[in-house]
Amino acid sequence: MIEQKIREIFCKVRDKAAARGICASFSLHREKSHLMRIGNNSVSLNTSENLCRLDVEVINGRQTGTHTQMGDISSVEYVEKALELAVEKARVASPKEYAPIPVVVEENVDESVQYDRALENVEPSFKGDGYQKIIQTVGEKYNFSGSWSSGSVELYLVSTENRNEAYHLGTDQDFNVVLKHPEKKWELINKQNGWRQSDFSADAAIKSFQNLLPFYEKVPGFKPEPGEYTVAFGAKALAEVLMMGSFTGFYGRGWEEKQGWTSKNQLGDKILGENFTLVDDPACEGTYRFGFDLAGKKRVKYPVVEKGVLKGLLYDNSTCARYNKPQTGHSTGSVSLTMLSGQDSEDMLAALKGKGRVLVIPALHYLNIPNSSKGIFTGSSRFNALLVEDGKVVSPIFSSRVTDTFASVFSNLSLVSSVNHSINLSNTYGRRAPVAYSVPSYIVAEKVKITDSADSF
Amino acid sequence: MSISEELKQSIRTNLKKVMDKGAEYVDARFYTHDDSETLLFYDGNLEANDTSFESGLGVRVLWGGAWGFAATSNPGEIENCFELARRNAETAARLMRLPLGMSKKPAHKSSFTSPVKTDPFTVPLKEKLDFLKAIDDRLTADWILKRFVYAEFQKKYSYFFNSEGTEVSKHLANVFAKMMVMALDNEGQMQRRSQDLFTTGKGTRGYEMLTQPELFSGHADRIKQELAELIKADSLEYGRRSVILLPGQGFLQVHETIGHPLELDRILGYELSYAGGSFVNLDSFGKLQYGSEKLNVSAFGGIANSPGSFGFDDEGSPERDYLLIDQGILVNALTSRPMIHEANEVAGRQVFADVSGGCARATAFYRAPIDRMTNVNILPGNDGTLEDIIASTEDGVVLDNPVSWSIGSNREHFHFGCEIAWEVKNGKKTRILKNPTYQGHTVEFYNSLSAVGDASTWQVWQVDNCGKGEPNQIMQLAHGVPAIRFDNVITGERK
Repeated sequence: MIEQKIREIFCKVRDKAAARGICASFSLHREKSHLMRIGNNSVSLNTSENLCRLDVEVINGRQTGTHTQMGDISSVEYVEKALELAVEKARVASPKEYAPIPVVVEENVDESVQYDRALENVEPSFKGDGYQKIIQTVGEKYNFSGSWSSGSVELYLVSTENRNEAYHLGTDQDFNVVLKHPEKKWELINKQNGWRQSDFSADAAIKSFQNLLPFYEKVPGFKPEPGEYTVAFGAKALAEVLMMGSFTGFYGRGWEEKQGWTSKNQLGDKILGENFTLVDDPACEGTYRFGFDLAGKKRVKYPVVEKGVLKGLLYDNSTCARYNKPQTGHSTGSVSLTMLSGQDSEDMLAALKGKGRVLVIPALHYLNIPNSSKGIFTGSSRFNALLVEDGKVVSPIFSSRVTDTFASVFSNLSLVSSVNHSINLSNTYGRRAPVAYSVPSYIVAEKVKITDSADSF
Repeated sequence: MSISEELKQSIRTNLKKVMDKGAEYVDARFYTHDDSETLLFYDGNLEANDTSFESGLGVRVLWGGAWGFAATSNPGEIENCFELARRNAETAARLMRLPLGMSKKPAHKSSFTSPVKTDPFTVPLKEKLDFLKAIDDRLTADWILKRFVYAEFQKKYSYFFNSEGTEVSKHLANVFAKMMVMALDNEGQMQRRSQDLFTTGKGTRGYEMLTQPELFSGHADRIKQELAELIKADSLEYGRRSVILLPGQGFLQVHETIGHPLELDRILGYELSYAGGSFVNLDSFGKLQYGSEKLNVSAFGGIANSPGSFGFDDEGSPERDYLLIDQGILVNALTSRPMIHEANEVAGRQVFADVSGGCARATAFYRAPIDRMTNVNILPGNDGTLEDIIASTEDGVVLDNPVSWSIGSNREHFHFGCEIAWEVKNGKKTRILKNPTYQGHTVEFYNSLSAVGDASTWQVWQVDNCGKGEPNQIMQLAHGVPAIRFDNVITGERK
């Protein structure tokens, strides 16, 4: 919990800056992170990081400058020193053709709805014991690896535009364990996500492996030849495709600049199938909830695609300024994108009865976008991938490449699960910034292009 | 700013304290500076004018055969940071099958400073902005829809201490830059051409590198001209043909399909849950025909001017210059001290000599070192100039600059998209083609290597954002690559 002393330091510097006529915003990002990494059935790294960053942005007419400093925020002088660096940068900066929008903290916020003290202070031994239980129960003959990241993030934001303060405190965790057969080389994964320590269950991981192992142990791999297939994407694969599709199709910057696959469309156009609805919902429990963005804008439920119709685009502050658009609360990496569930059975295999041959691809490895204008994405299957016929598992499948378009996949959904899963999409580059999407536990898309496959897993 | 004697003594004292408690090895890195400056003109607007200063301590402890790590940005927390790293290692040792180790090395006191004539952080901001704006002005045209030019400057001053008595100070400097122009083609698709700041391998790494026209700014008019042709071009049709990779594409091919699969921690399975494994195993060395006899690949390669040249890695091991692939045969890996120890233990024989490849690197004080490729280079060959290679090509495409890259989890297969292709028919470059892609299977692909250009075609391309590890780490390095030709490659996309 942020100390009163830090609030007082920030507010004092803010008020002094405002009195000097400086337009500035000040934000604190403080994280307490822990990560345990597993390799070859052992803990390979057990790491703790306590880091504090100060970000200062100054707007001088059409000139801007920002400065970030890491260290303990111990005095008014420390923050003022960072402010002076940003002031000088803004003074020298080349003026923009448009007027930047200053950070305005719309209202006082003090949120900690997804904060679990137990997770913030979790003992590494809790994680070690969890991995130990999984390894011992499922079997030491397999090679286990994995990682378990957990921690807390504090964001505190003020600006010279008013006296409001926005504060966020939250916890998050991202657990995964990979089981690899030492000779046959296939890999299975279990992932878990949440903001409470109790969101983790070793038993759930054990059960997921025990369900899949018989198929992998008994049947050799299947190599799909290039062609079109009915594909069931699991929640992890779906979330990653959605993230890429959103990045190239649903953000205002890409649309305004005609760089993405929706750039030829207008709001109100039908771009995807009837059974595709996407909303940014900061109240969704299956996502990491942030009540304000880094421009101080209050975040509210925001429709993106409704029954296949493009309803809204996600604008960051800079794009709003440049293209004269209203702020939408998306000056943040932590959106709460939620794809609405469908009507089909939670039990995927039951839903696949009568569907003939289906490739089940729960996760896609190393997605990328060869053609943003056409919305072409490519990535390869990896964990837990199966060939299913008429709802029965036939065999695991070798590493296979999917290369198709967002529009084609999301316009040809024949099944959408009635249950949503939360998928953690955080990366831990630089500062801790939790993000999760809530997506159906599976979708089934018709005529998906498989463009290559390996002779191995 | 250098580290104070008081701080040095505090680190030495705490190192000893943790060793006295029973640790097998301890090291600590204190960064007085980890500074960066990013300047970005986007359509002529200065969209990024950012500086970032970081400093702090990272401590790594080997205890009971397991690693613990802790970091703090608070200089008042040094003792606690050592103790937290020790406790993390102690906890890790409870779940350990094969004790990890570090073979003993003699202590040394060393230093390394990147060759710099002008520290970019001492150059007035106005001068840097004027330089970039002048490039931006040259990129401007009515028909160009989007353009950007950016530069990033990095300065890292770090001080390494370990329990063997080794102490290394490093002053590293990096300069990265890129420019890009974009326009809509005749089908309404966005096309682009770009140029990164590259090096010849020689020279210095200060601001002066950025201002050499032949390495960066002098390419502005060329990429505009190529974009003008690209937006009128046809798409590359699906089919098998030869591909000739220029260094601007070849560097990423090498990075993804030679560099990463040869990182020893990946081979040993330590990246399985994230970046993936490797099709290479401990039995592959000395046996696997990775590529044709024309393929010779080195690590480091004696590059003076590269972000992958750093004197000593973050375990204090000196950087090395050695072969990874010799006439197509895999002979070595990218290694660090603990991974060599483990590989030899696992294999029950000496797969690798007990000499670190100098590959243990961390992105910042708050991350633990992991195996990172250094400068992995394809050595120049004997197949002449680029023109010579084109002249001996019947049906192919010359490819440059990546748009997308997607690699199989064990690096066994790949798919790349590029910015531009030049069709080659009967030994002649004919026309420009857009939306080029190619895909292949790594070993099959490198065994189809049929021409390697001479030194005149060899360039060093910088990588400023290689991602790996958990917690995620970004690393900087470079690859020296000549023009290279591969035959019978799948190109383009099926209808």
